[in-house]
This record gives sequence, structure tokens and C-alpha cells, in this order.
Amino acid sequence: MSFLVAAALGVGLFVAIPFAAHLLRRGRARERDFPPTALVPAARSVARERATLEDRLLLAIRALLIACLAVIGATPFVQCSRLSLSRNAGASVAFALVLDDSHSMRAQAADGGVRFERAMRAARELLASAREGDAIAIVLAGKPARLSLAATTDLNAARRALRDLTESDRSTDLEAAVGLARTSIASVPHHDKRVVLLSDLAGSALTESEGQPPLWTPVPELATPLENCAIFGAERRGRRIAAHVACTSPAAAAGRALSLLGDKNGKPVPLLARGGIQELGLDLDPKLERPELELDGGDALKSDDRCPLAAESAALGVMVAADVSNASAETGGPPVLEQALGALESSAALHPIALLPDDVNEYRSNALLLLDDPGGITPEARGALGSFVERGGVAVAFLGPRVEQTPLGATLEPFVHGAVHWESKASFDVNAASLAWLGPEAQSVQDLKLHGRAGLSTSDLLGGRILATFSDGQPFLSKRELGRGALFTVALPSSVEHGNFPLRPAFLALLDYFLNEARARHGAAQSVAGSEWTFPLGANVSIDGPRGLLAVRETARASGSAQKAATPPLAGRYTLRIDDKPEERVVTVDPSEVTTLPRKPPENAARARANAHAGSVDASPELGFVALALLALELGLRVFRRLTRERAVTTVTARG
Amino acid sequence: MSVLRKSLDWGKLAPLRLRAKTVADGVYAGGHRSRRRGAGIEFGGQRSYVPGDDLRFIDRHALLRHGTLLVRQFETETDRTLCLLVDASLSMSYRGEGAPAAKYAYAALIAAALCKIAVGAGDRVSLDWFGGEHTVELATAGGREAFERVVGALETAQPSADLKSDLPALERAVARVERRAGRGSTVVVLSDLLDLPAGAEVAIGSLGTRGKTLSVARVLDPSEVNFPFSGPLHLRALEGEARVETDAAAARPQYLAALEAQASRWSEWLLSRGGSLVLLNSADDPVKAVRQVLDSVGGLS
Repeated sequence: MSFLVAAALGVGLFVAIPFAAHLLRRGRARERDFPPTALVPAARSVARERATLEDRLLLAIRALLIACLAVIGATPFVQCSRLSLSRNAGASVAFALVLDDSHSMRAQAADGGVRFERAMRAARELLASAREGDAIAIVLAGKPARLSLAATTDLNAARRALRDLTESDRSTDLEAAVGLARTSIASVPHHDKRVVLLSDLAGSALTESEGQPPLWTPVPELATPLENCAIFGAERRGRRIAAHVACTSPAAAAGRALSLLGDKNGKPVPLLARGGIQELGLDLDPKLERPELELDGGDALKSDDRCPLAAESAALGVMVAADVSNASAETGGPPVLEQALGALESSAALHPIALLPDDVNEYRSNALLLLDDPGGITPEARGALGSFVERGGVAVAFLGPRVEQTPLGATLEPFVHGAVHWESKASFDVNAASLAWLGPEAQSVQDLKLHGRAGLSTSDLLGGRILATFSDGQPFLSKRELGRGALFTVALPSSVEHGNFPLRPAFLALLDYFLNEARARHGAAQSVAGSEWTFPLGANVSIDGPRGLLAVRETARASGSAQKAATPPLAGRYTLRIDDKPEERVVTVDPSEVTTLPRKPPENAARARANAHAGSVDASPELGFVALALLALELGLRVFRRLTRERAVTTVTARG
Repeated sequence: MSVLRKSLDWGKLAPLRLRAKTVADGVYAGGHRSRRRGAGIEFGGQRSYVPGDDLRFIDRHALLRHGTLLVRQFETETDRTLCLLVDASLSMSYRGEGAPAAKYAYAALIAAALCKIAVGAGDRVSLDWFGGEHTVELATAGGREAFERVVGALETAQPSADLKSDLPALERAVARVERRAGRGSTVVVLSDLLDLPAGAEVAIGSLGTRGKTLSVARVLDPSEVNFPFSGPLHLRALEGEARVETDAAAARPQYLAALEAQASRWSEWLLSRGGSLVLLNSADDPVKAVRQVLDSVGGLS
């Protein structure tokens, strides 16, 4: 407490003055001359009582008035538990509120309330202390990090935006959120800028906490460790269930068991008393409809103790049709495509096939078909492939030298039309600029050593769109929409015998692009909250989730085309209707939200907090109003008494 | 006694000389008839002859017609002496809230106005005091000079002295007035009748005997009349040692009753002595007050 604060609060000691005056006056009234005193009867006790009663109200008002003035003098140095913004010489402040709406924020805080509600309360308090001229941005740290409100000086808009926020089961993306927050207030003209982080710091590392403006974590109690176990996935595998459970610690897992809801014959499977992730198996009762798993016992977060069962093989299915003899590396092992998919750690389920299926049912539970150096597609296989793609599948053809060996009756449709020639003598390269949408890996396609390519022309692509070209302008990668799915044609094979393209990072990036496209179009039966579901622009989509209908919006893809998208924020079972075809998907929580414990605030955040005078409140306007009201009350009381006295005199005079 | 208390609060009634003339001019006094009967112009009635009566006034017509000796009486306009007895005790220096001036100032104004009226009518005036400092008793005199002397004396006097237990001082003042006032004189006493010694009624009431007309004008301050106080009070009398701690609302009815009872007592006593009591409020119009006094002595025609 500074000298100024002490001096200002010292003014409060003057409260004793009206008290002393009252005590002095209460004993006896002021003596006054009055010649006919002998005619006045004495009434001492009544006089004292009246003095006490009449003066008490005025005394209280005056004491309160002095106290108000003292506190007004002491503000904004007075500390209280309410959060507020301190200001340098009263200047306006620009601050970005990074509000963590991830799954771990739904747990209980140290004070017994929900962390998210505590964070929202802190945000409201900070917003309440904002003044006209302050700039506010709101960023949500649930994955993906989102800008809920761009920096604005409209406080009402900020209040509305804050009011509309709800908790979710998303993963945490603090790094991106903090970066987004810093960017959002970078362009405002305010000199004093701050990033307020309202998070439990769980689920995501915050490595770049040293940036500017510094972080301020005003509610450190959010990062209090807790005990929790969560089911983050359960899928059907024949007559068995494979469930995945994550626990914060051995203590959280001890004594708890997993059971199938409604299965009276099944036995609960006890959890291993250890922290981290564990997989458990249960028997599935085939009679159950919409089965759900449940963890018994209690923990800090009840909502993640139940999880619906996803359809069989919830992982993304990828069919790979590659000739082992031609498409494998010289060192042996599986084909390059399979090795590349394994390197991506995409958790996709690989299904190598020798021939393209003639029956569309064989594509069931698969979302992506990777076809390496096809030598022609028979009409039956073409029909099944077309149906697969139209239902949301993604098929990719890596064209190789076998395009010239198409047998009679077989074509390369639906990828390309007509005969395709294999060009082995030309000198060419892939145009890296045309692949720029792939990311920084696109640069790795420069200086390729290619021994040939499929010579495609625009007329061969069946109306497909060219996504990338060779340096001479010939199509390298094309895409053709078919129903809900898509067909991609790559003019190079995946074999390293015909060039080193499969060895470049761009090849992996391209495969990852295909996986994401397949995941988005087919829709994984089980996904993490916050993952985006995409649908063709023309599809009629409705999604019913735990909070009712989920909004479907139009977005732009990286390639520029439009699509429909929806992001499920909560874990649970979702029922989709895509062009009147029902589909069920299960959304789970990210296990890292459970296993990654809350961390202490970054050091510079603590320093920022210390420099920010957390909790100092400038209550001058409110206290000023109170003081004014007290003054008005005293004046009113005095006028009332005077009127009462005059009325009494008038009455007496009238009697006289 | 403090210096401040000595300096009289004339308030809005200063200067006395001009204010007195103004008040007197506002009063229609006219000529007043003498109660003395005898030689004169205007027939005033008959009475039975008693030995010693002037034989010139025997009504011969009545003697011839009825055979009864009757004497004719005539009223004569004659000068009357106005004897002013002014209370200059300490309580007269009081001026409450809402009063234009101290009670003494108001009383002095009334006295000066009466003097002006009397002198204007050709009557003579005397001035006496009870209590006060720098007081100057003025013997009976008439004319413009008498008015100036009376006003000067009224202006010079300062209310003072505690008469609460000093009956002899009051009796001495009354004795002086009795000496100056002959039959037919008008005696006007201006006082608040407060804090006077026991027996003051007897002493002052005696001025109404022996053919004199007595009028006692009680001058009170508005706050004494209305008791406008509120809340707790600690009151102190200017004369005597009386001190009272009370509550205004509770004490007001009893005080006003006591004040009224005191006035009634004085009124009854004076009536029994042929005098009258006039109640004046120092906040009232002085012209009206002078008329009240003149009415009480039968001065207005």
C-alpha cells in the first residue's frame, strides 16, 4: 500500500468527527436565551431520547459520506477479489480474452464450480471493468482455435459475444489461440495491449509464451490438478467391443470398472490402476440398440464417463491396390503406398487388395481407394467404384506405364477418358507453384528425376479440374467430383522405379491430403470433438446431436471450391441425414484432454500478472454516485425536517 | 453581562424618531374628550345640586317646572397628561427569530408614537422607567420639544437590570408616575410582564386609581408568542436563574397555556383596577399596535 493509499484511507478517520459531535450534542441541547423560561415545563428524558433518534440517521449519512470520500480517494488502489483491468495513467487498454472451451474446462475448479464457468465469470468481470475506448477481442482455445470476436471497441458486442459462448468437448489448441489473440490486437492503435489467458493449461503445450504482448493468467486456480477418467473411444469388433479409456493418474483409475449399459449378463471390466491410456475388451450383447459404455464411480468430470459405441471399424478404411512386384522398394517390404501411409501415423486401417472389387459392398467400411498404376478397369469394377465414390468415397489413381496396356473391354474410366500414353522420353518437372495449396512441402517437387509420366490432356479428364500441372502445363493432378465423393488422378505412379517423386515430402503431403479428403467426405464413424465434417455443396444435410440440431455452414476448401461443413462441439452420438440417407457418427473426447495435467502458468504470464495489478478496482464512479445520493438524502432530510417544523409552528399559530 | 447584550438590537425599527412620526401619522387620533366636566361649551347633562356648586349653572327652567335644584354640566376639551412607564429590564432586550427588532425597540417605538400623537393633540407627556441603564426620567412637558426629549431618552436607554427580585425598584418607578399623573391622566405601561417580582401586579395596578386611565401594553417577541422551537431545548431566562431542559414539541402546549393564563391573570387584575391589558407582538404592524393602545384608553373618537 502506497503512501497515497494510506493517506486517502486515513481520511476515513474523520468519520469520528460526526460521532464526536453527536456525542457532544446528544447529552444536552444548545443553550439559548428565552425570557419566559419560567413558563416552560421541563421534559429532559424526552429531549434526550428525541436527540438520539433524530440525529442517528443524519449521523449515519455523514459517516457514510466521509467513508465514501475516503475510498474514492484511495481508488483505484483498493484491492478486492473482483478481477479488473489496471490502467497506466487511465489510458485505454486493448486486450484479447483467450477463453479455453476445451473438454478439460468442463471439469470442476478448485472452488467446486465448473472451470469454464469460472473462466466465463472472470471474463465478464474483466469486461465489466472495460471502459469506452478499450478494444476487446475474444479467442476460443478449443481446437481449432477460433476468433469469436475480432478486436472491437463496441463493448456491447463483446458482451453479446461472451454471452453466446458455451462449453465444448474440443481438444485444446492454446498455441494457436494465443497466436491468434496476439494477431487480433496487433493492429489496434492502443499502446497498452494484453493477452488474458483463461485456461487450465491442460491438453496442449504452450511453448511460445514469451511473445508480446505478454500473457496474463488471472485465474491460476483453474490449473488445479484433478482426478478423472474418460472413455475416449469404443468400437464394435465382431461380437466384442474395444474400448479406450484415459485416466489422469493411478488413483483416478483405481477401483473403477467399465460396463455396457443395459447388459445384465455382462460383467464390468475393471480398469488397470495406472494413469494414461488403456484398451479394454468387453462382450457385446447383439440385442442392445444403440449400446453405450459407462465407467462406474465418480470423478471430476462426469460427462466423459459414458460413451456410445461406434460402428465396426470406426477407423478410416483405406484400400490399397498396388502390385507388390512393381510398386515396392528394391529393399523389399510392402508397396511404397502402404509404407507412406504407415509413416503418416494416420491411424487409418489399411486393406491391401489385389483386384478392384466388382461389388460395391466390398468397399464397405472403406473411405479411400489408392490405385497404383492401374492397367484398366473392367466394367463391373467400374460400376462398383462409381457407386463407392458416389456414396462419399475417394478414389485416387496413380497412373503409370501400364496405362498403355489396357486390355480389351477395360478402360481407365471413371478417372480419365480414352487412351492414355506413357511419355518416357520428355524432360519435364512438376510445377511447384501449382502445388502451393499443399503447403510448404510443395517446394520439394522441384528437380525431380522422373523417367516418365502419363500424358493427359484436358479432354481426357472427363470434366475434372486440374489441381496441379507439370512445368510444361500438362495436368499432373486432377480432381473430378462424382456424387458425394471425388476421383483424383495423378499422372505419376507411386513406384520409385519411374522417378523419385514418392520419396519427396510432397508425396506424403499429397497422401495426407487424400486421407483428409476421404475422412471429410466419408465421415469417420468416430471422430474427436471439434473435428470438421464436410459434405458436398449440393448435399442436403441435417445433423442431430446432443444439443439438438447442429448448424451446417458453407465453407471454402483450400483449393477454393465451396463445400458444406459442420463441427460437432460435444462428445456423443450424432445422427446425420445426408440426402435422406441416415448415418450415425460418434464423437469422442481427445485423450490428451485427460492425460495431460494442468500446468502452472508460464513464468512470463506470472510476471505479467504481477505487473498488471490484478484485482485492483477503480470504483470511483460508483462511489461517487453513492456519495451524491447520500448528500441528496441529507439535504432531503433537512428540508423535510424544516417543513415539518414550519407546519408545526403554523399549527400552533393557528391555535393561538 | 456582556457588551453585546448591552447594545440594543433596534433592527428594522431604527431610526426611532422617523419611525415614530411615521407610525403616528398612520394613526388617526383626532381630539379626545376630557372626562372632566364643568365650565365648557357643550352641554354634558344635569345632576342634583350640592352645596358649593356654582350658582351660575343652576338650571332655572327645571327649577321652575319641577321645583328641583339641578345643575347643568358642560364638557370641555382639555389637555390630558400622558404618562409613559417603560420596562427597560434585561428581558426586554430579547429578539427572537423572525422579529424585526428587540422587544424594547418595539416598545420604544410605540411609546414614541404615542408621545407624538399626544404632543400633536396638545397634551403633555412624561416618561419613567423601571430597570435599564442610562435611563432619563422626563417630567411632564408638552410641545415639540417634549417629543424630542422623549425620543432622545428612549434611544439612550439600554435594557438592563434583573428585576426578578427587586420589587422596590418597581415601586419607586410607580411612585414617580403617581406623582406626575393627576386626575384624568393616561398612564401607559409598556412591558413584557416577564420576570417581574412578585407583587408587580399590585404596584402597576395602582396606577389605574384616582381618576387615571391605565393601559398596560404587553410586548412579546413572536417566538415568545408562538414557541416555534423543535427538538431538544435548553432554555435560559435573561433575568433570574431559571434554566430548563425540555423538548419543544412536548413543552409547547403547556407553555402556551401558561402564557395565556398569565395574561388572563394580568387582565383580570387590571380590569379590577379600571385598567386594561393590550397584547402586542413585536412582529405586528406598529400602527395597529398604537391603535390598540389608543383604543384601550379611549383615545380614538
